[in-house]
Amino acid sequence: MSSSLVVSQRYHRQELIPEIGREGQRRLREARVCIIGIGALGTHVADQLARAGAGFLRLVDRDVPELTNLQRQVLFDEADVESATPKAIAAARRLGAINHEVELEPVVDDVNPYNVERLISDVDVVIDGSDNFELRYLLNDASVKLGRPWIYGGVIATHGTTMTIIPGETPCLRCVFPEPPPPGAAPTCDTAGVLGPAVAVIGALQAVEAIKLLTGNRDARSRWLTSFDVWTHELVRIDLPARNPECPTCGLGRYEFLDRTLPTQTIQLCGRDAVQVVVHPRASLSFPALAERLSRSGEVSYNRYLMRFRAGAYELTIFPDGRAIVRGTTDPAEARSIYARYIGM
Amino acid sequence: MAVTVLIPAPLRRFTNEQASVQVEAGTVSEALAKLDAQFPGIRDRICEPDGRLRRFVSVFVNGRDVRSLEGLDTPLREGDEVGIIPAMAGGR
Repeated sequence: MSSSLVVSQRYHRQELIPEIGREGQRRLREARVCIIGIGALGTHVADQLARAGAGFLRLVDRDVPELTNLQRQVLFDEADVESATPKAIAAARRLGAINHEVELEPVVDDVNPYNVERLISDVDVVIDGSDNFELRYLLNDASVKLGRPWIYGGVIATHGTTMTIIPGETPCLRCVFPEPPPPGAAPTCDTAGVLGPAVAVIGALQAVEAIKLLTGNRDARSRWLTSFDVWTHELVRIDLPARNPECPTCGLGRYEFLDRTLPTQTIQLCGRDAVQVVVHPRASLSFPALAERLSRSGEVSYNRYLMRFRAGAYELTIFPDGRAIVRGTTDPAEARSIYARYIGM
Repeated sequence: MAVTVLIPAPLRRFTNEQASVQVEAGTVSEALAKLDAQFPGIRDRICEPDGRLRRFVSVFVNGRDVRSLEGLDTPLREGDEVGIIPAMAGGR
């Protein structure tokens, strides 16, 4: 058996589906996808799209896997937690072993108004694997501005919601939900918990939508805002409203989240008991030099991608561009002062 | 007019975990007021203090977004279904 035959048979079972066929598979092979957030939803969707034979996957995530992630984030294992391998890198390694035909581009970075357009401008579909509304509304702005379809997904506890947004054709996220909830108004996975199979269901729905769009089946896309509870099997499927001509984003072309200029330094809550500090413009840290300096104040270790520094009750994860995640506090002012004390700003 | 209000999971702590509640109402606004009379506090999760629909919540009548109808004044008929969907966080 020649290797080309093995390759051609690889997708046989999904090519049997008439809506896909050889032609759909060929299109999928040429497709480019960006997945924003390689966590619970992101790992599920990436796994499905890599196995399905999508041509190119850009995997964007700012974080490293933690033990509490393994319950639902399917591309990571205990060794990744132990070695502090960034999620984007660990996922790319795993996906490369699953399907060597897929071109993988891991990006270890925070997604913000400065880089979001660059991250999605050269792809056919964007997958929402994020966990916060600030990022989703930013993604909505950038996707509408650049005309890139994106697939929203959100999961809490045992239920989740998904919606497919095709700029110019469907309503956008702001047509349906005009503003993001204020901080504290919506439950998060850290407060309400999340069940792995709930993520799997919503991630699977997102992956199917991507496959439809990428195999020439755009007409078959979901026309609903779909919510499903895996515990009770309650399905709420709402016809998407018409596009709102008054929608700031897709009606009026005001990209308020994208145009929001960031201060030279942003500080945001980042999961349970952690605060992220981002500096603009980006720094270029030398880990060996920083390690030498910090080793006098605490325990330091680093690899190619990041540095870990423990001092008292705090643990800092520091990236080469100056970004840091400060664990051990939820107080932005405290995180700022810890950052200033050890890294300087 | 007897209508059914479908309660999303995050708000069921107000309704003793009931997934749907029957109320008598002629408009969406009235339905939410009746709901709140039965389950105090739930309306604040859907509407701003000044009574407008909160901007991260969508309310639907028989699957149609009330923002594309007459908002909270959208009239209801016997047997109508009022759905409430809050924007959903989470995913990582």
